[in-house]
Amino acid sequence: METFSFDIAIVGGGGAGLRAAIAAAEADPSLRIALLSKVYPMRSHTVAAEGGSAAVTRSDDSLEHHFNDTVSGGDWLCDQDVVEYFVAHCTEEMTQLEHWGCPWSRKEDGHVNVRAFGGMKIERTWFAADRTGFHMLHTLFQTSMKYPSIQRFDEHFCCDLVVDDGRVQGVVAIEIATGGFKLIRAKSVIIATGGAGRVFRQNTNGGIVTGDGMALAYRHGVPLRDMEFMQYHPTCMPGTGLLFTEACRGEGGLLTNKDGYRYLQDYGLGPPDPWPRKKAMELGPRDRLSQAFWHEERKGRTIETPQGPAVNLDLRHLGEAKLRERLPQIYELAVEFMGIDPAKSPVPVRPAVHYTMGGIPTNVLTASPLPGLYAVGECASVGIHGANRLGSNSLAELCVFGKVAGEEAARFAKSVPPPEEPELLRQANAAKDRALQVLKRPVMGERLADVRDSMAKSMERGCGIYRLEDEMRETCEELAKLKERFASVALKDHSERWNTEWLSTLELGFQLDVAQAMAHSALERRESRGAHQRLDAYKTRDDVKYLKHTLATYQGDSTPAITYSDVTITKSQPAERVYGGAAKEVTHA
Amino acid sequence: MSYIRPMEGWWKKNPFFLRYMAREATAVFVYLYGLLLVGGLVNLAAGEAAFNGWLAWLRSPVGVGFQLVCLAVFAYHTWSWFVIMPKTMPPVMVAGKRLKGSAITASGVVIALVASLVIFFLTVTP
Amino acid sequence: MPDITVEVLRYQPDTAEAPYLESFTIPYTEDMSVLQGLQYIKDTVDGSLTYRWSCRMAICGSCGMMINGIPELACHTFLRDYAPGPIRVEALNHFPIERDLVIDATDFMEKFPKITPWIEPKVAKKPSEGEYLQTPAELERFEQFSHCINCMLCYAACPQYGLDKDFLGPGLTALLHRYNMDSRDGASAKRMELVHSEEGVWSCTAVGYCSEVCPKQVDPANAVNQNKTKSAVDWFTRFLPGSKP
Repeated sequence: METFSFDIAIVGGGGAGLRAAIAAAEADPSLRIALLSKVYPMRSHTVAAEGGSAAVTRSDDSLEHHFNDTVSGGDWLCDQDVVEYFVAHCTEEMTQLEHWGCPWSRKEDGHVNVRAFGGMKIERTWFAADRTGFHMLHTLFQTSMKYPSIQRFDEHFCCDLVVDDGRVQGVVAIEIATGGFKLIRAKSVIIATGGAGRVFRQNTNGGIVTGDGMALAYRHGVPLRDMEFMQYHPTCMPGTGLLFTEACRGEGGLLTNKDGYRYLQDYGLGPPDPWPRKKAMELGPRDRLSQAFWHEERKGRTIETPQGPAVNLDLRHLGEAKLRERLPQIYELAVEFMGIDPAKSPVPVRPAVHYTMGGIPTNVLTASPLPGLYAVGECASVGIHGANRLGSNSLAELCVFGKVAGEEAARFAKSVPPPEEPELLRQANAAKDRALQVLKRPVMGERLADVRDSMAKSMERGCGIYRLEDEMRETCEELAKLKERFASVALKDHSERWNTEWLSTLELGFQLDVAQAMAHSALERRESRGAHQRLDAYKTRDDVKYLKHTLATYQGDSTPAITYSDVTITKSQPAERVYGGAAKEVTHA
Repeated sequence: MSYIRPMEGWWKKNPFFLRYMAREATAVFVYLYGLLLVGGLVNLAAGEAAFNGWLAWLRSPVGVGFQLVCLAVFAYHTWSWFVIMPKTMPPVMVAGKRLKGSAITASGVVIALVASLVIFFLTVTP
Repeated sequence: MPDITVEVLRYQPDTAEAPYLESFTIPYTEDMSVLQGLQYIKDTVDGSLTYRWSCRMAICGSCGMMINGIPELACHTFLRDYAPGPIRVEALNHFPIERDLVIDATDFMEKFPKITPWIEPKVAKKPSEGEYLQTPAELERFEQFSHCINCMLCYAACPQYGLDKDFLGPGLTALLHRYNMDSRDGASAKRMELVHSEEGVWSCTAVGYCSEVCPKQVDPANAVNQNKTKSAVDWFTRFLPGSKP
């Protein structure tokens, strides 16, 4: 096995991983940084984010407003000290990106423009047309090429962490092109592998979003936090689940049911006019909008499309010129994929799984419970999203905490001695053997796609927008059975070179573990909060018993153990989440 | 071991490339016509008889045939040059809006046609 | 559901054989992309079929392939437009095939840093001092060229790149141009050295097919050919006082 020694290893080359790499390189150019990604970094799923990145900008805005919007948006499950740090550093990070070349959309006077976004009191979402994630990712990737101390391992699949002496000491990776294994020793490791939305059937995610890093940490004893909170983005393409950015609504788009009625006013988000209006109607938070769709479908008021029920996203009143200027990418998406011109017809949309609020728990310094292991981005639960994320907070998160992760990992790397060679190699070879066991599977057996699709359907049913005790229990049982079936999944492809069937099988293993953490966490949270809404005996929020983070701990072949940890509450006491007309009057204590 | 595909016959595999090669081939005819004109100059310098001989060749069936072929080829050459011309230019702003490539091509073609007609009438009319 | 025949150029690096076409007949629906067709084959017929993909929405740039001889993104090319087929799917032209539809992109990735793809600011400024001002008009001068998703369809389209791998190529020249046109950047002179060279714009013969196939309307042919003019002007004025080296 080829072995390498670095100071820092970063797994994941998306926005968070790249920002961390740059920060570490700037903190100390003498540190050797390995950046591993299972795809070329510009393919990372950050690229698909559209709407924008939040940062307090306007003179009538304040850190306190951003803080309050985020904490109430998260239904008070946010760690408020972390949110305070977050909102205080967004503007500086977005400006840093601008200095690195990010083509933010501008006002006439040359200053960066900001737009309204869901759940936010005042416009503070920086945007680059409707390709914000694309531009941020490419800016970060191209800027990262400036730093000779960052060595990339492109198209290397991380199949395990190496943990010794109570701390993480490296990673084991498969070079996809050759099937060769590499041990990358490192004094600190940053996981930036993204979310796990692909465990659900309809989702906005790319094929690579399979929870790899979460599963790796989980299997090494790091609990996964708040996994029951999965965000359904309300406006996605029926069938494929592809994303129509929240910015459609930020720019004034409307949601109507089959009767042409703006139904959101029936769900506490009204009155409908004047429009647009912050935190009201179509600019309400994502969990509320997705839940409204669910009710409309039950009432039979959704429109029928060949890909299932949907509602109409009406952008006609914006006019072609504005659509092409502010929302060019979604314009193309509607035309190319659906044959619909949004300037002339409404676009059918429906909720789909979009974002994983939970993940590897970290403190504000992005440190996980495992010394030397840092986590940042969607794979982490740093504490800012709570039970429901506000749109445009996650792109900002990548940079604010990416920087912290890079600096902290650098600091840690300098503080620890180099690793014990023989033990690491022994562990790496054991990881290699486990991965090769999968490669040697027989050609007859369970079909990979069948197990994967069963998992995805079960998660959609049991852990959907609304949840029921029986259905969640059923999903938990089904997942246990699927893990058994997984052991007999066959492999037709036994090549070592570019074997994506092998890698997909390893990814399915990760996904099943992560799905179990999600389903069991959901079952045990006997209340409704944010994106976890129950229609059984637990329809309301219970701050007495459940103002806590859920922790799911891996138990090997048994089901995960569920425990709880405290939420840090500082300035904002839990209150009612109010949107719509009343939002203007409410001030948070 | 990765596999490298040969480039042989690449231009035959796509109509776009066939048109491109035709455009490039027009240069051959431009060259030949240029030689013809140089021949004219040489014959002009050699005296009236030589020059009349050259003019006679121009009027011969072969000469006329060659010139007609050249005319057709030059028309395609002109057209294909104006098609690619927008690609060689920075954005042209007219009244605050960017001029489309097709507009630049169209303008070029119109100017070429007008210029051709002007020169035609200048040479034909006494 | 109707059927469509998909012919895929297979290549197994473990064997010494040349690539070969394999035919699959699959059911398809009105909204299925070629990528979804390949996924169906991989899931139900032949798990060894290998291709790159991720976002499914023409923004990550992973799924470039030759579809009936034309460079396309498989995720936004639809089977309904080729039915009943056969539709021929092959790895992107002008790149070595690693396996099936996966090409070796090393050449592109190695050239990337050479274009200085980052801002070297004209004026130094700290983030705490706020953003550089850039008007919408200044943004427009380079924005189109910043839309490149690095899908490499233009490299598959460019016969000059196919014939000479030293050529910088359309996509990277467009990105180079993006930075030169950005009002905040001051490194044009450095980038022009690459432009002036034999491997720079002078290998381009204005075929223009790159811009035809670009899924994001970047118009790399324009970037390359505008720079021919610049390169020529730079060369002719190089002895004038005040001209850049």
